[in-house]
Amino acid sequence: MTSPQIEIQLIAAVVAIACAIPGVFLVLRKMALISDAISHSILPGIVLGFFITHDLNSPLLIVLAAITGVITVILVEAIQRTGLVKEDTAIGLVFPALFSIGVILIAKNANDVHLDVDAVLLGELAFAPFDRLLMGGVDMGPKSLWIMGSILLIIIALLLLFYKELKVSTFDIGLSSALGISPMIMHYGLMSVSSVTVVGAFDAVGAILVVALMIAPAATAYLLTSDLKKMLLLSVFFAIFSAIAGYWMANILDASISGSMTTMLGIVFLLVYLFAPQKGLIAVLYRQQQQRTEVSLLTFLLHLNNHSETEERHINHLQEHINWQKVRSKTVLNLALKNNMIEIDENIVSLTEKGKEFTDLALEYIITNKDEKIEPMKDDFFLFRG
Amino acid sequence: MNILEYFELVFTDYTLRTITLGTAVLGAICGMLGSFAVLRKQSLLGDAISHAALPGIAVAFLITGAKDTNILLLGALVSGLIGTFWIRGIIKKTHLKTDTALGLILSLFFGFGMLLLTFIQKQPNANQAGLDKYLFGQAATLVESDVILMVLVTAAALFVLLLFWKEFKILLFDADYTKTLGFNTKFIDSLITFFIVLAIVLGLQTVGVVLMSAMLLAPAAAARQWTNRLGTMIFIAAIFGAFSGVFGTAISASQNNLSTGPVIVLVAAVFVVISFVFSPRRGLLFRHLRFRQNRRDLKLQKTLQFMYEIVKTHDSISHPHAIRILNNFQGFTKKSLQEMEEKQWIILSGQEWSMTQEGFKTAENLYNQPFPND
Repeated sequence: MTSPQIEIQLIAAVVAIACAIPGVFLVLRKMALISDAISHSILPGIVLGFFITHDLNSPLLIVLAAITGVITVILVEAIQRTGLVKEDTAIGLVFPALFSIGVILIAKNANDVHLDVDAVLLGELAFAPFDRLLMGGVDMGPKSLWIMGSILLIIIALLLLFYKELKVSTFDIGLSSALGISPMIMHYGLMSVSSVTVVGAFDAVGAILVVALMIAPAATAYLLTSDLKKMLLLSVFFAIFSAIAGYWMANILDASISGSMTTMLGIVFLLVYLFAPQKGLIAVLYRQQQQRTEVSLLTFLLHLNNHSETEERHINHLQEHINWQKVRSKTVLNLALKNNMIEIDENIVSLTEKGKEFTDLALEYIITNKDEKIEPMKDDFFLFRG
Repeated sequence: MNILEYFELVFTDYTLRTITLGTAVLGAICGMLGSFAVLRKQSLLGDAISHAALPGIAVAFLITGAKDTNILLLGALVSGLIGTFWIRGIIKKTHLKTDTALGLILSLFFGFGMLLLTFIQKQPNANQAGLDKYLFGQAATLVESDVILMVLVTAAALFVLLLFWKEFKILLFDADYTKTLGFNTKFIDSLITFFIVLAIVLGLQTVGVVLMSAMLLAPAAAARQWTNRLGTMIFIAAIFGAFSGVFGTAISASQNNLSTGPVIVLVAAVFVVISFVFSPRRGLLFRHLRFRQNRRDLKLQKTLQFMYEIVKTHDSISHPHAIRILNNFQGFTKKSLQEMEEKQWIILSGQEWSMTQEGFKTAENLYNQPFPND
């Protein structure tokens, strides 16, 4: 690896981590799309800042653009408060308008501005190592690494300082107000941090891919855990992984680094979405299937409990009268047998002692209708699940 | 070229006519279908779909190697639909919320699309330039066949809309009721979503991936302020959309260096702002005026009530009282007393006031009026 290569990966990883941390809170607060709005609407801020500073990496520009981001949030909330349109419509109205203003500003001043919209939208990480920070003639490394590094340090410091407050105000607004932690301050604090991060990152990965870096690691981690600390660690891990893996994929395909970082994030998310142990698609579908069979089993047992006449308890009755298909009846019957709930004597099905006990409890459960009771009950009685 | 010249040229110049017609039709269909998106609280679905369409364009190009607009748009349609259904899958099957699902699909698909686009750009194939026009759209590349396609799609959408009008409407406002009536809600839902995706894909060439959502939302959000009827709203939204298209094209054609997409979006945004402020029923201006009027009325009524309490203790209603005795009560001014005289509730003479018969009656019934109908 050459030194620019290492530097690019370092910048990519730092940007990814800096985005992932605020992203976790945005996802948990159901404000993921605010990051989309901010990332677009900072464009006029960046352009205006560029007119003033003539330097894309100037701290003043970052501050100006971040203020635009916070203004967006305030504007969206103001429109929501009028009650004229719903929340999501307010977001959808504000950011394209601001973005359009930015695009037009760039187009009208194309001659003075070395800034094109593609670069803002997509960023170009490959050039980042060439813009170097010189201090007293000494090469201190790439400028963007310094900028994103300081943003990351600020984020980590704020996270450690306000971890408890963030946690409380994210999960229980009422409690946080009662404890004297203003949810307003936490909200706007988070918004400001997100804005600064988006502005700092846009020049490396572009406005739209910032959204991916913010939301995807957090969403992926959220499918794997419900613990805030673990979620933060996991999303940082996914961020670093996709930054490094994305860089190498881009290297092989000779394509955009930010695009392939996002694609890596997409692949990771897809895998977790399918295979996550508790909340993944396959697990969910399997569980739903299991529950369906178990409900059928319960119905069947109740039916047996209700009828003493033999024709109602004949083994073919399931298909003929309850209208189940052959496979389904067989599954249910086998499950009941395996769990020792029934016994079959000359094609007549009858409940065992255990089956009877279970049915009585199940009846009680149906009458009292307490959802949380069914799972422990199943654990007590079932040797095999559906 | 200034705007006047533009309007002279629009009927004679082929290119201008095509572009204007194209943006107008696009605005109309977006307004029409956008109304559903807005009312279904799916405003940002449009944003997600338009971004999700990008990889489809790139894949279609990679497979066919041709830059035929229709094939590219077909790719966009397929990938937009995949994105839409994945969003649904995420919302339904996991505990991730709508906003996260939308943001995820939006950014992940777009990132993948960018990967493919940059990959294509490096390929030794002279044909590839110009795919990135789908990012911001270029109305200037519209040709007659594109416009014909748009008109056809609009006609189809209109036909389906009229055919399933009742179903769409009932699903929009009461989904559970629709289900109990035995309608196939899944089918109706997929149908309307399909047409929304179709409208978005059509707009990609003109306003681009990034700004397409505004095209869908803004006319509908503006139209919503003027009416409470679905049919009227769709009609107004289509008109707003079409005008945004025409004015946007006119402004961008009359200036140098102005791309059409952003200008159309800004024109639509102006429609939204005007509607928010000036719509007679819901608009902020009239709402504020009504609010002030109500507050003034309330003040007058409070004064009247106070006077009524005094008058009640006297035998004659019209017994004159000094204005001074109202001083305990803070809510009156000279002006408000004059207004009360105008309403013929009281008669002022010098430093004294006396209540009229009418004022007495009004005060008596102040707290047992029926609610006025809105």
